[in-house]
Amino acid sequence: MVQIDLGQVSVRDANEQIRKWGAEGEDIEVLNPDARHHIGVGLIHPVRVHIQGSAGYFCAGLADQARFEIDNNVGWGLGDNMYAGMVTVRGNAGAIAGVAIRGAEIVVHGNVGSRAGQVMKAGTLCCVGNANFMAGYMMYGGRIIILGESGERVGEDMAAGDIFVGGAVRSLGSDAQLADIEESEVDDIRAFLDRHEIAYKGSFQKIENAGKRLRYATSEQQVRSIPFFTFSGTSDYWNPKVQEDVYVKSQIGRYRVRGYGGARTLPHLSDLAFKRDLSAAGTAGDPVAAVEMYTEIGGLNGARPLKLSMPVMIAPMSYGALSRSTKQAVGMASSMAGIAENTGEGGMSDAQRGAAEQLVFQCLGGRLGWNIHDMNRADGLEIYISQGAKPGFGGQLMAKKVTKELATIRGIPEGIDLRSPSRHPDILGADDLVIKVEEFREATGYRIPVSVKLGAGRVRDDIKIAFKDGFDFVELDGMQGSTGAGGAEVMEHVGVPTLAAITQAMEALEEVEGLDKIQLVLMGGIRDGIDAAKGLCLGADAVAMGTAVIIAGGCIACMQCHVGQCVTGIATQDPKHERRYNPVAEARNIHRYLEGVRWQIAALTQAMGYGSTTELGRDDLVALTRDAAEMTGLPYAPEYREREQALRGRVG
Amino acid sequence: MCGIAGVMFKHGATGLSTGQALIDMLDGCQHRGPDSTGFALYEDAEPGKLRLRFLVEEENGASDGVGHNSGVEGAIADIRTTLEDHGAEIVEDEHVGNSYRVVVRFSGDVQKLTYDMEHAATLISIGESLDIRKDVGGAHDVDDVFHVREVEGTHGLGHVRLATESEVKPEAAHPFWATGFTDIAIVHNGQITNYWKMRRRLERRGFEFHTDNDSELIAVYLADKLANEVPLEDALKTSIDDLDGTFSFLVSTKDEIGYAKDHLAAKPMIMYETDDLIAIASEEVSLNRLFPGRALDTREPPPGSYGTWSRLT
Repeated sequence: MVQIDLGQVSVRDANEQIRKWGAEGEDIEVLNPDARHHIGVGLIHPVRVHIQGSAGYFCAGLADQARFEIDNNVGWGLGDNMYAGMVTVRGNAGAIAGVAIRGAEIVVHGNVGSRAGQVMKAGTLCCVGNANFMAGYMMYGGRIIILGESGERVGEDMAAGDIFVGGAVRSLGSDAQLADIEESEVDDIRAFLDRHEIAYKGSFQKIENAGKRLRYATSEQQVRSIPFFTFSGTSDYWNPKVQEDVYVKSQIGRYRVRGYGGARTLPHLSDLAFKRDLSAAGTAGDPVAAVEMYTEIGGLNGARPLKLSMPVMIAPMSYGALSRSTKQAVGMASSMAGIAENTGEGGMSDAQRGAAEQLVFQCLGGRLGWNIHDMNRADGLEIYISQGAKPGFGGQLMAKKVTKELATIRGIPEGIDLRSPSRHPDILGADDLVIKVEEFREATGYRIPVSVKLGAGRVRDDIKIAFKDGFDFVELDGMQGSTGAGGAEVMEHVGVPTLAAITQAMEALEEVEGLDKIQLVLMGGIRDGIDAAKGLCLGADAVAMGTAVIIAGGCIACMQCHVGQCVTGIATQDPKHERRYNPVAEARNIHRYLEGVRWQIAALTQAMGYGSTTELGRDDLVALTRDAAEMTGLPYAPEYREREQALRGRVG
Repeated sequence: MCGIAGVMFKHGATGLSTGQALIDMLDGCQHRGPDSTGFALYEDAEPGKLRLRFLVEEENGASDGVGHNSGVEGAIADIRTTLEDHGAEIVEDEHVGNSYRVVVRFSGDVQKLTYDMEHAATLISIGESLDIRKDVGGAHDVDDVFHVREVEGTHGLGHVRLATESEVKPEAAHPFWATGFTDIAIVHNGQITNYWKMRRRLERRGFEFHTDNDSELIAVYLADKLANEVPLEDALKTSIDDLDGTFSFLVSTKDEIGYAKDHLAAKPMIMYETDDLIAIASEEVSLNRLFPGRALDTREPPPGSYGTWSRLT
């Protein structure tokens, strides 16, 4: 038994000591906690931590195996994302107690705040007092026991799991219903209560999912693929895609969900041109050998940076939207090219981790597959706020793709139309976000860079918040980004184009004097090395590519990613279809493509007279259209159009 | 994007000053808002006297063209002239930090005075008891300039803010006062989404706003009710339904302190009460700053709730 006095040491030092003593199997007493945040986060050893007083936010967060006992109250996010282990709180808990737990036993002897057990997957959360509103909000599994009153809208949008209430049920949430309780369930609860020495002899009411909203009433039929050129043709009015949309909606009676991004014509990187005459690009020796392209991302605050052989990364794409083999191929290609891959939503598989030498692990609101062990083996952590293709919306994964294996890694029921939460349980503003970032840093010992992915919306404000909340880098995603499944109208009509996004972001950073203090990775429709070089000119430290990488690896751009029967074996979870995908061969194709991107960036940089990609700047660009000039503030110079077309012909 | 704190010593401050208590609480939650910090401090009123505080920094206040004279000295001269024109007799004044503090003897129409003053300078606080001190920086930075800890006081509010506007400006810092009314201050965490609708409704009735900050709206909304002799508790009750959005806010008047919290409870609030004191903050860590090493019997107000406390002396 060791003692740590928080009156004497910082939480950061205390957590280091807790982990160290934990690894040695030593129990720990924490004195004078005084409601400080993040006590014991990331502890993964089966030791006992006794906190003599109140703890703040995320007490026992991201822990596994450990047993915590807190003598008084705890703040928001008690036991966040805990796996095995146990927490006993003698006082009250704030909002989202037991958020996203995947197996722990959590007992709060007082009351719990609102949204207890939000997005929990497994384990038991027990509240001896009263719960506040929306207990069990969007829970995917596990058990909540409330001995007092349930609070309003209990079980709101729950997908699975059980809620047992001893006191009055104030009101039921949407898609929740009262259900008959089985004797064995009551026996289990009694055993649980006995084990935790809770005297309760009353009866229970059981609340479960009513099953009315787990799947879309009508699934979308597969339609004949319209060639992308026709699809994004010049007519905005009655082109074949518009007709198809009308027809499909007449059959399903709701918004369409499809893959890929918007097809509407928007100002983009191809509406910019390089100011210098680059007709000699690529003609002088080996540009790749001549130009410095090595880029480190994420190390400005002391974390171990991503080490990129060129300022390019793979954009986040989920295992779920994409097949296991595809994620593997992309990971292998990223390693061959010496760049970083990103898990996207839905957890990290061993195959992915093994394939990608550098892997960023993405955390979304549903915490589907998020866990401390994969955090510890990641090379970067990323908090997803939103996505360029569908800012403000969560992911969609249709039932066909929610296989047993996929459901297991995500901790959700199999075969539901998964509509991921559009927001995080514990990030409702910049003030909560800073505490969340700190939780990740504390849990991983400040080793791993933490980034935020922002779908361009209120770019200026969001970028400033990212800077002030201390992120190591931002992944800024413009409207030209794609998705595995999203509402068609949203993709076409909601968002901020990539050009406007990067311009506003750089202006915002300049205003707060943050240009050298946070790095920015631009994504959203980066198609090749020419686009990439323009993105770097506009101020990005690196760019990320998603769709282009998938196409390089065999995608035929039929835009049916959501259906789950992808003929190339990319956007599917069906082994029958996945069998068609050859990860080793496709990894080589993707790698060849990435090497082409490298050559393009190098050739352009060299032809501009620079020795390093860091020398690229806004002064190197002009705008070919008035819209692009307006968005970027670059000089309007349509006379450069021919030269730009010739350049594409040469190095494109 | 902020942290809030409030304290009231029911029988007057004992041992701890109002200023020191608020500094400690805000320092405890400075992570919620590193850019600016503000205090609304209440002291016993002197009958017939009003305390006013103006922002007079070079880049703010009267010097940016709304007054006649330029520079801080000019701004102060403009303020003095306007006050005297309204029959306010200056009995005490001081230029400290970004602000100019004046105590006047005044018995006229306060609303008219404040609206006219606002047209001449940036007035950030007015009251018989109230004094708002706010600036960029942390709780200790503001204390260094404004000597907050020396204010014994009876009750007060505090606020830390994370700003997203281009410059971090003191006038955008909280607490806010209710333009046109005395002794009402507010600190707010959250966002009022029907801001323009509510503001236009109040503007149609002749009220003026001097910022685009939604927290000023809450202050004016409540002040309007209080001026019509609606008890603070009832005004807070209706605010929960009239205001849309996410909010946890604290309000104080000459003798009362109150809170309201929206139905979704998206913004935290926690309180600790004894026979002598009520302390309210965004996070328990702030409350523990007042009572280090103690396990406090705190209470989290439920969603859609409100409450008030009065001074007992």
